Amino acid sequence: MAFLLRRLGFYFGAFFVAITLNFLIPRLMPGDPATRILLSLRGKLRPDQIDAIRKTYGFSGSLWDQYLQYLWRLAHFDFGISTVNFPEPTASLLFYAAGWTLVLVGAATTLSFGIGITMGIWSAWRRGGFFDTFFTPINVMLNAFTPAVVALLLWYAFTMQWPIFPLGRAHEMNLTPGFNLETLLSVAWHAVLPVASIVIVSFGAWHLGMRNTMINLLNEDFVLLAKAKGLSDRRIRNRYVARNAILPQITSLALSIGFVLGGAFITEVVFNYPGLGKFTLNAIQTRDYSFIQAQLILLTMSVLVANLASDVLNVILDPRLRSAGRA
Amino acid sequence: MSDAPLVEVRNLTVDYVGANTVSRAVNGIDFDIRPGEAFGLAGESGCGKSTVAFALARLTRLPGLVSGGAVRFMGEDVLSFSAERLRRYRWSEVSFVFQSAMNALNPVIKVSEQIEDAILAHRPKASRAETLARAAELFELVGISPRRLDDYPHQFSGGMRQRICIAMALALEPKLIIMDEPTTALDVVVQRDIIEQICELKARFGFSVLFITHDLGLMIEFCDRIGVMYAGELVEVAPAGAILTAPQHPYTRALGRSFPPLSGPRVRLEGIAGSPPSLSALPEGCRFSPRCGEAIPVCMRLAPELRPTPATGGEAACHLLS
Amino acid sequence: MTDILPAITTTPPRAELTAPTQRELMAELGLKPRSRLLARLPGWAQLFVTNKKGLFGLAILAIFMILALLAPLITPYDPYRRAGKPHVQPGVEHFLGTSRQGKDNFSQLLEGSRASLTVGFIAGFSATLIGLAVGISAGYFGGKTDEVLTFFVNVSLVLPALPLIIVLASFIEEASPTVIGLVLALTGWGWSARTIRTQTLALKNREFVLAAELMGEKKWRIIVREILPNMSSFVVGGFVLATIYGILAEAALEFIGLGSPNSVTWGTMLYWAMRAQALQTGAWFEIWPPAIAIMLTGAALVMVNFAVDEITNPQLAATRRIGPIRRFLRRRNRRADFV
Repeated sequence: MAFLLRRLGFYFGAFFVAITLNFLIPRLMPGDPATRILLSLRGKLRPDQIDAIRKTYGFSGSLWDQYLQYLWRLAHFDFGISTVNFPEPTASLLFYAAGWTLVLVGAATTLSFGIGITMGIWSAWRRGGFFDTFFTPINVMLNAFTPAVVALLLWYAFTMQWPIFPLGRAHEMNLTPGFNLETLLSVAWHAVLPVASIVIVSFGAWHLGMRNTMINLLNEDFVLLAKAKGLSDRRIRNRYVARNAILPQITSLALSIGFVLGGAFITEVVFNYPGLGKFTLNAIQTRDYSFIQAQLILLTMSVLVANLASDVLNVILDPRLRSAGRA
Repeated sequence: MSDAPLVEVRNLTVDYVGANTVSRAVNGIDFDIRPGEAFGLAGESGCGKSTVAFALARLTRLPGLVSGGAVRFMGEDVLSFSAERLRRYRWSEVSFVFQSAMNALNPVIKVSEQIEDAILAHRPKASRAETLARAAELFELVGISPRRLDDYPHQFSGGMRQRICIAMALALEPKLIIMDEPTTALDVVVQRDIIEQICELKARFGFSVLFITHDLGLMIEFCDRIGVMYAGELVEVAPAGAILTAPQHPYTRALGRSFPPLSGPRVRLEGIAGSPPSLSALPEGCRFSPRCGEAIPVCMRLAPELRPTPATGGEAACHLLS
Repeated sequence: MTDILPAITTTPPRAELTAPTQRELMAELGLKPRSRLLARLPGWAQLFVTNKKGLFGLAILAIFMILALLAPLITPYDPYRRAGKPHVQPGVEHFLGTSRQGKDNFSQLLEGSRASLTVGFIAGFSATLIGLAVGISAGYFGGKTDEVLTFFVNVSLVLPALPLIIVLASFIEEASPTVIGLVLALTGWGWSARTIRTQTLALKNREFVLAAELMGEKKWRIIVREILPNMSSFVVGGFVLATIYGILAEAALEFIGLGSPNSVTWGTMLYWAMRAQALQTGAWFEIWPPAIAIMLTGAALVMVNFAVDEITNPQLAATRRIGPIRRFLRRRNRRADFV
């Protein structure tokens, strides 16, 4: 418990650092951000709206007043008004996009973690064998092939050369929304290529991480003792080595969410997928700062929650952490 | 019947494969372990005694390699066991107690499961109640309350963990227990307790022991016969009592002088001058010759072989004895 | 106990028990003795030079670096200006064709390698430097310093890098490659700081450091003379990883349009190719050259990182010798004792 409380305290600290950075960055840059934002809204506004916006964006008053105002609005999930889809509030657009990104990132992370861990277990167990010598370097190299390139490659191959998969979007246009089979199938079908491109560039990291952790564990006495006891290979591999090796991978999984999100952003751009990445790109092109800043806060929150979840999981799986508070 | 050795080690050779060298950690050694006997292996660290123990149990870690020789257990060739025969050989015939009980237990698995595991691997039909009862019985045997079966390794002290390991080694009543420095990681008082416990259990169950330790005094007290190793070779085998009183090999003599006697008058302790040779750059002839105060010219040219020594009823490998 | 098999009493002939000599064994396992030339190099260099993956990666990197250095001399056209009609097919005049804007792709590729590699190395170098400073201070000074620094290390690890960079870069309008490199360094130093801190903690209690402390050496001297040299491989490893991150992240940022569109890098080439719908219009020669260059550089760095990993962790290097040992045993109808 003490461990989890300590971690919780840390995540609050980290969140505070993030929102403070988010507050300071636009204010430290040269030029008046309010003017910039108003410039990007040129022609769309009546004068009274301009005043209203100045107020909502909180670029008036002393820095400290602005900061307090900013925190107050954050606490109410008020991210301001989107300048692209004016006058939609940024929050509604943000949550719509985040939903689709969650679909991509969730599916991709599950798949790539599963594939990578399985391969890592296999290649550590038969280390120095064909699978290990051949696939470990190749899979890790795929990791360095950057999402942009892989997504483009898949997109070109499977929508242009062999048009098997749809060109973009998250589902067919003329669908009845809701949880019916047709919708789900359509969503899954549209997600295949984006998910595949994220998986291709990320599973190698899990393969290598699991493999190296397992190889180090294979040298531990308790694994040798398991062997000496005459346990079956399968039991030693799964219960005595992989069981321990998975713990650090869970921690890295949570830390990697930020990287996976980065990959998802780019993939969404290539596949025209209506997630955070695509809307953020729009926001960058139209200088919709409220959206750009809101996505940072939302993603920071998700990453911190993911980390907290991984801590809880670690406490459940590792008895040493459970009694750390008692000792 | 009882004369037939339990374990015969013949010309056992173990190599460690490096990036561009092969180190011969054990160079063709021969010895027997008789039923019910405690056989000790003594020597400086790095002399290959643990490597022998691991090879005996077929537990040589890669990139180590048993490159030659034979290990026979009750006449069967251990090195050519099939996978299934090897699995049966492990634990039900030969079990192991490691040096560091700290690392010998998996930190994230309950100790009860780690003991029951060993039983289930060899008696797959045993029920949960049976294995649990056996685990509790074993805990009592080594003086730990069975109530603690559901604890995790980190909740026990070092000495208790080593007791758990010993309990585990007894689970299937093996004929041979290999103990690789079982007390080195413990403090002196606990050491004593553990050794007494092992003696008691040995008297009760009659298993043989291959005992390895740095502590020559402890070894002489516990073992029936002792083999002295130097740089991967066995230089002398003798009854435990003769190691200090009638050492035949110069290295055994030097080793004896560097340990304090348990009883009797205090003597000045002497170390052995020099250090053991690197296994990748061995001297010609007898491996001990560069450090030996009594070396004669033939020692530098020819490696001596083990020959019977009538004085002790054992064997030694030294040119001075022939 | 009950399953005593009939004992085999025939002793195999002594010859069968004899092990091969070390020399024979090395030959059978395919080990080559260390050459005399090699033996003169320091230990880590020996390990690196005998590592095929590492050498291969280094060779690819070297080719790119030479091309980047020579770019101004060997580019056939000015990469920043129109050199022909839009989307000219690859041929004698334009080795890799021209872009939608009529710029020569080959010249852009070479010019781009300059910027991309420079940014990658700047980002990698700065991130390693920050990580080294923070990691060593946290590990060596301990106490409050450690607590505060470790907090910031963990914050930098936990905060999502790309969204943060997007915020930063979008307020710096049209970030030049150098600015992007520095931004990446500011967000990418956490990993190396963490490894270096762990390593420092391990070294701090070693005899030679304690001895230096007892002799009253100044703290910074101990850090520079005793601690730094003993973690060079971790520093190099961190540098390689940070460089991979730098090159890939730069390409990603420019690809989504956060860079300065007027600079010529692999990332901006991809950006323009994407905007020009190069793939839809059959202009593969505009998009694949920078894509392949990024993939090759990434792969090369990964291979170098493999080699560094094997140097820092002997367990990993040992895996390469395990295959031959298994085969040795199989030929003798035996199997390895342990996985």
